[in-house]
Amino acid sequence: MDVRLRKFLGTDTLLPYWLLLPSIVFIGIFFLMPLFNAIMLAFRADNGAFTLDYFKKMVADVRFIEALKYTFFLAITIVPLQLITALAMALLVNTGFRGSRFFLYLFALPLGISDLAAGLIWLSIFTQHGFLNSILYSLGIIERPIYFISYQNIGLTFLAVVVAEHWRATAIVLVILVAGLQMISKDYLEAAEVLGARGWKKVWYVILPMLKPSLQSALIIRTIFALQTFAVVLALAGDIIPVLAGEAYFWHFLYRNSHIASAYAVFLMVISIGMTWFYLRFLRSRMEVIRG
Amino acid sequence: MSYPRLLRRTLLYIGVTAFALWVLIPIFFIGISSFTPRNEIYAWPKPIIPSHFSLDTMRFFLNSYGVLNSLLNSVWVALLTLAFTLAVGAPAGYAVARFFFRGREAFRLGILITRMFPTALLAVPLAVTFIKWGLYDTLIGVALIHTAMALPFAVIITTGIFMGVPKDLEEAAMTLGCSRFGAFARVALPLALPGLAAAAMFTFVISWNEVFAATILTVNNRTLPAHILTTIQASPLYFRFAGGFFMILPALLFMFFIRRYLFHMWGGATAER
Amino acid sequence: MRRFGIIALALLIGSVAGLAAQKITWMSTQFVPIAEAEFVRNEILAPFAEATGIEVEFIGAEYAEFVSRVEAEYEAGKGEIAVLCGLHGDFVSVLDALADLSEVSPGGTISDTLMKLGQMGGKQAYIPLMQATYLMVVNKKALEYLPEGADIWALTYDELLQWAKNIYEATGMQKLGIPAGPKSLLHRFIHGYLYPSFTGYQVLAFDSGAAVKMWKYMQELWQYVNPAAPTWDAMDTPLLSEEVWIAWDHTARVKQALIERPDDFIAIPSPAGPAGRGFITVLAGLAIPKTSPNPDAAAELIEYLTTPEVQVKILQGVGFFPVVAEAAGAVPSGALQILAKGVSAQAASPDAIVSFIPGGISDEYKKIYKDTFFKFVIKGEPVDVEFLRSQATRLRELYLEAGAPYPAPDGG
Repeated sequence: MDVRLRKFLGTDTLLPYWLLLPSIVFIGIFFLMPLFNAIMLAFRADNGAFTLDYFKKMVADVRFIEALKYTFFLAITIVPLQLITALAMALLVNTGFRGSRFFLYLFALPLGISDLAAGLIWLSIFTQHGFLNSILYSLGIIERPIYFISYQNIGLTFLAVVVAEHWRATAIVLVILVAGLQMISKDYLEAAEVLGARGWKKVWYVILPMLKPSLQSALIIRTIFALQTFAVVLALAGDIIPVLAGEAYFWHFLYRNSHIASAYAVFLMVISIGMTWFYLRFLRSRMEVIRG
Repeated sequence: MSYPRLLRRTLLYIGVTAFALWVLIPIFFIGISSFTPRNEIYAWPKPIIPSHFSLDTMRFFLNSYGVLNSLLNSVWVALLTLAFTLAVGAPAGYAVARFFFRGREAFRLGILITRMFPTALLAVPLAVTFIKWGLYDTLIGVALIHTAMALPFAVIITTGIFMGVPKDLEEAAMTLGCSRFGAFARVALPLALPGLAAAAMFTFVISWNEVFAATILTVNNRTLPAHILTTIQASPLYFRFAGGFFMILPALLFMFFIRRYLFHMWGGATAER
Repeated sequence: MRRFGIIALALLIGSVAGLAAQKITWMSTQFVPIAEAEFVRNEILAPFAEATGIEVEFIGAEYAEFVSRVEAEYEAGKGEIAVLCGLHGDFVSVLDALADLSEVSPGGTISDTLMKLGQMGGKQAYIPLMQATYLMVVNKKALEYLPEGADIWALTYDELLQWAKNIYEATGMQKLGIPAGPKSLLHRFIHGYLYPSFTGYQVLAFDSGAAVKMWKYMQELWQYVNPAAPTWDAMDTPLLSEEVWIAWDHTARVKQALIERPDDFIAIPSPAGPAGRGFITVLAGLAIPKTSPNPDAAAELIEYLTTPEVQVKILQGVGFFPVVAEAAGAVPSGALQILAKGVSAQAASPDAIVSFIPGGISDEYKKIYKDTFFKFVIKGEPVDVEFLRSQATRLRELYLEAGAPYPAPDGG
């Protein structure tokens, strides 16, 4: 019996399942349960009846289209930018020059900075009487402070948010890419050099393809977070740039309607799943090429 | 050194320095702001280097009602989270790394999917459950939800770590008479320790910085970010700077001490050439 | 003769002794948090007992308990509670049980505007005790740009527009500030200040012609408002950093600016529109139940609590502002005094239209006002009556769903 069970499960022992059990239980209780409740809120009215009203209301909301637009634009602007920057940083550090370890620590610093603090920092830079304007003014470049954050110039405000988010979250992508780079077997690299691929060629034809799984993971993770975080957008741009996650938050805490808040959250979740599927499909690569 | 090589080296150093400055300057700003005397904080133009450094702001912040308490709470919660997360997540990582079992990919994907729902909204149904179970407004309660939030990362990281530990070594140990657990404890664990330390750091930082769940699940026993968030409305600007800086500092220090292991986060070692 | 004298003396002593031993019960929905209750007992009631010999037992109660006890005693025809303290809404619920206070004189001058608010059911149901409100704070630097003939203690919205315009033309900067961030109190400005000032009502005239004029005015005014306004939840920081010279907000959210630099700012009443000077008052008052066992002592307490000195103490201890005109001057100089002067002036305006915060309905009403603002003012779309109408319908639905009355000045 036991043997057949094991055969069915595809392993020669039940051990892995025992090892997984604590995590599954944990996530089940503290995550899946409230998740289920929260999702149900979006579909169920107070009297228990199943309804799509809340979704209808969400779509009819004056700010829904704006929020959707900006959430989307932020994601497609920030993620590629971060990917490129992180790749550059990772490649530089990976050359292993003297002090590279220290520089890696520096690059990873923003990992330790919460959204709250990051928003505060960049606000103090971009605000009308903040550091950036103060520097420009002291250098005589401008006569009057520039309104970086202004509903009259949403483009500039958007840029400020992109800069702040980029600064804050590139480290996440960096760390994933560095790990991926390390996992590339030295043999491949040496073989490539022997065969004449150096410098840029090596990067383009050898390293990047082997980095694909990491790039993919980085893309997925970063996009999921990009869709969700709004702390920095809120701190810098307030109501000038509405985003979906922010709307969910306000519906719940300010307007006290958890149903619509959950509708927004479910919508976000669906978008995240959709984008993940998209990435997995069109950036297909073999899973975990190198193993120890 | 040949000319092209020298050029390349120089460009390299310029590149990394530029990036390093990019990362450091904003941190520098908030550090400076926390030590700027109160009357200069609102000045226009804002001085990059204040006329004199003042510990006033920091002192005011630290002496403010509830700050030291919430600081201690944050430390407790982060340590508890660390313990729970590693205890639960490391075995899972080991399982995924070593065994090819049915449901393996599903588990990995599932872990990822849990992070796709905005966590701020999860905290409210959770609060209701916590009240029923008597976990509301307790540090353990917050630690438990932090563990749930950090678990996906922990599992991903430990999977990578254990993947980086060659299977052969454990198998060798087992042929020499060790039990599976013995092989794990004597061979895999020591090799994985640096990586586990990195995972621990990651978890600590996540818990330390987490704001929303902590705010919703506590009333009297707040963590530092929760405390700052709730008092921020009524607080003057310098208070917020000091608070922000204070939140950053421990995370930065912690990461400094673990920096050696940053490389090991996903398995595999690197050497400076 | 002598015997008569001794008896008279004994009676006198007896009555004084009797007077000294008075004890009354005061039930209140305000000052309930422990710190505030202690403050009231130690700083306010203890000196009262010393001065008059009347001991007051202070009982804090939640709304539900308050209402049920008052009603119970009224029905029974007799009771223990001698004096009450509550918000306007609390008294509305127990109106029949309250005695007429027209004969009771407060310890200071309370403006007619406020006294009128306490008149319900054909009688003076309560005497105002303290208030919270929203007003404008101005950096003294802005004063030189004030338009000719404008009086900052009685500004109109048109004058405000001209003022902001003057500053802009002289300095090139938009120095007017209204908090429009997601967690700001913008909705209070719209439903409690703008709407009553332009249309005379909070809800009833939401989509009227006067409202259209109001929105067009706001579109014009907004040109001179600092463009970072939609990121602000409170005005104290922008005032301090001088990104703004004229600001509107709740007293608590501008207080910090006044504490840091009391010499740089003054607090003034909000402006008046074509229909009057609309502003929100969160008003708490004192009442005597018909079944009070000691109405005279109760009246003495009311008089005491409305003396300027005690009003100032309340301000310092709890943060609610005085209703008594003399109190504003009696506040020790500093942030509170500046604010108190503004609050007082606003409350005493002859053209005042007092608004109350809507109660008992879903918080979604905030979003209705804010969304309209977002659409017309921030995004600058032309004022569309159809949209106003649909918002108005939704707003009325909220009140209907909850069965709640429209708030003052709509006649709720």
